[in-house]
Amino acid sequence: MIPRPELAHWLAAAFALLLGLVLVSEAIVGTPVFRRRPWRAYLFPSLALGSGVFLWVITIFSTFSTMHLVAHALWAESAMIAGGVQLAAVRGKLSSPRWSLVTAGALVVCGAAFLVHEPNPWLFSRSAFLHHVIGWMLIAGALFPLGQALRPRWPLWRAGFALTFILLALLLFADRDVAPIFGRFGGAS
Amino acid sequence: MTKRGVLVALVLLLGALATPSVAWGHVTLLSATPAVQSSLDVAPTEILLRFSEPVAISPMAIRVLAADGTVLSGEARSAAGDRVVIAPVSGLTRGSAYTVRWRVSGQDGHSPAGVFTFGIGVSAPPPTEAVGAAGTSWKDDLARWLLFATLALVIGPLALRLVVLRGPVPSELEQRFHLVPTVAALALLNVGIVAFVLRASNALQLPLPDLLYGDLQPFAEKTRFGIAFLALTLGFGVVATLLLFAWVADLLVLRAPALVLSLVLASGISLSGHQATLPNSNKASELADWLHLVSAAVWVGGLASLAFIVWPSAPALRARAFLGFARLAVGLVGVMVLAGVYLALVRLPSLSDLWSSDYGRLLLVKLAIVALALSWGALHHFVVRPRLEAGLEPRVRPSLIGETFVALAVLLAAAVLTNASPPPVQNGSTVARSAR
Repeated sequence: MIPRPELAHWLAAAFALLLGLVLVSEAIVGTPVFRRRPWRAYLFPSLALGSGVFLWVITIFSTFSTMHLVAHALWAESAMIAGGVQLAAVRGKLSSPRWSLVTAGALVVCGAAFLVHEPNPWLFSRSAFLHHVIGWMLIAGALFPLGQALRPRWPLWRAGFALTFILLALLLFADRDVAPIFGRFGGAS
Repeated sequence: MTKRGVLVALVLLLGALATPSVAWGHVTLLSATPAVQSSLDVAPTEILLRFSEPVAISPMAIRVLAADGTVLSGEARSAAGDRVVIAPVSGLTRGSAYTVRWRVSGQDGHSPAGVFTFGIGVSAPPPTEAVGAAGTSWKDDLARWLLFATLALVIGPLALRLVVLRGPVPSELEQRFHLVPTVAALALLNVGIVAFVLRASNALQLPLPDLLYGDLQPFAEKTRFGIAFLALTLGFGVVATLLLFAWVADLLVLRAPALVLSLVLASGISLSGHQATLPNSNKASELADWLHLVSAAVWVGGLASLAFIVWPSAPALRARAFLGFARLAVGLVGVMVLAGVYLALVRLPSLSDLWSSDYGRLLLVKLAIVALALSWGALHHFVVRPRLEAGLEPRVRPSLIGETFVALAVLLAAAVLTNASPPPVQNGSTVARSAR
């Protein structure tokens, strides 16, 4: 019942890249220009919510260990809740910028799941290294939606949030369990 | 977007797509010979486990246990580039079932472990009945009760809104009708995971740090509660999404499929219990079990919705909601009692089983709580309802909250009963020792 793990990782990376590119586009041109076509405002929240739903499918394929089951469920739930809240904000159902705190919380939960998920120290292998990097990056990335909740007009938050997803995609694409930490990208180790 | 922006995005995209290499996963058991929960004609001479990655092993990486706990396997060895682990076995006889417990270490530092069974000339028991497995405990009862309670909080508010309070309602009330079932659906997903892991841990018998890397696949694929867990996880993920969309996009029509899907999925919770595995279980008893559960869930969830959603946020709709729910509750209680009586007759063929077996005594406790809840409901029906129909405004909320808590106690008794074993049936079949 388990799909090939590299496929799952690459799929997650491609999805994170798509999310990141949407956010980068908005950060580069600015929100007013980006949202001249109203549907664009729904892109990121819909994709985040959709990824949450899709992650539930991945979750039921992750019964090969308790830790993977729980971690995938946490990622699914975080993406669903953050996507739903952002979608509600775009629809005007939630008006306070403080709702960005939900996204910040979701990033912290996702990052913590990455860190708990990896019992080995930083330099054990590339996979261990990347788990630690991704975990702490997501926790640090939570500062951007946190900042957006407190000072919504500062453009740095949006750009930082976008880069968090681009970095996440790159790290997921580079993930290999038994490779040397800074080994070459091509070929199996 | 400027040309420079497009260029940067394109470079990032191409760079990311060009760099990936093989992203190996964590160690997983790909296959076993004999296969998990298989039935063989001839006793095997060795146990072979094939893993997704090279693994390191100890001499006791594979242990084959007879029903009395005797270890029948020898020293394990690696093969095929350390991806295969083989252990010799001897002394296996036809007509018996055996348990395999394994534990290896992957190159990623994780140490997965697992358990499965196989039979020779007999059907293999599910992994929950492996040698060394513990039965259900109060933790399983608590988890099942939370499953029932969260199911009630998904179904009850939806049923109250769609059946009793049709049409427009004040926005504050509508928000609560969105919030409660959505949060409950997400809570149910989490409780389901905890319940599944708890049940698997009873058989795996691993300390917590090792349980984190315990192989749950045999439980997910070979047991009723595992299959029910997979269906519930996926199904309630969809329910939660439908409810979120209903709220975000004001597509109230999505709540109807969410309710229908939840009612269908409730069958997974009832079928994952003990009753569905008993020798005298049949389609009629499974249907009765499902009707018993969904009518109880709508009743308990509806009561909670009256007390905690309608009463505080819509004073003008209190009488309408109460009277409508009172009519619905009569039907629900009727279905619940009829299905319950039928199930009691199926599971307790002899009247003396009521006081001579643990299951019977538990049923008596449940019946006592049900009697209290029904008396409370009758008080509402015959005393409060006429006053509300007369246009009076009696103080009902504390009483509704009280009845809700009694109803939750009924669900707790039902959870304990679902995990318990009824007395043996008289048709010569064996009785399952624990829920599968």
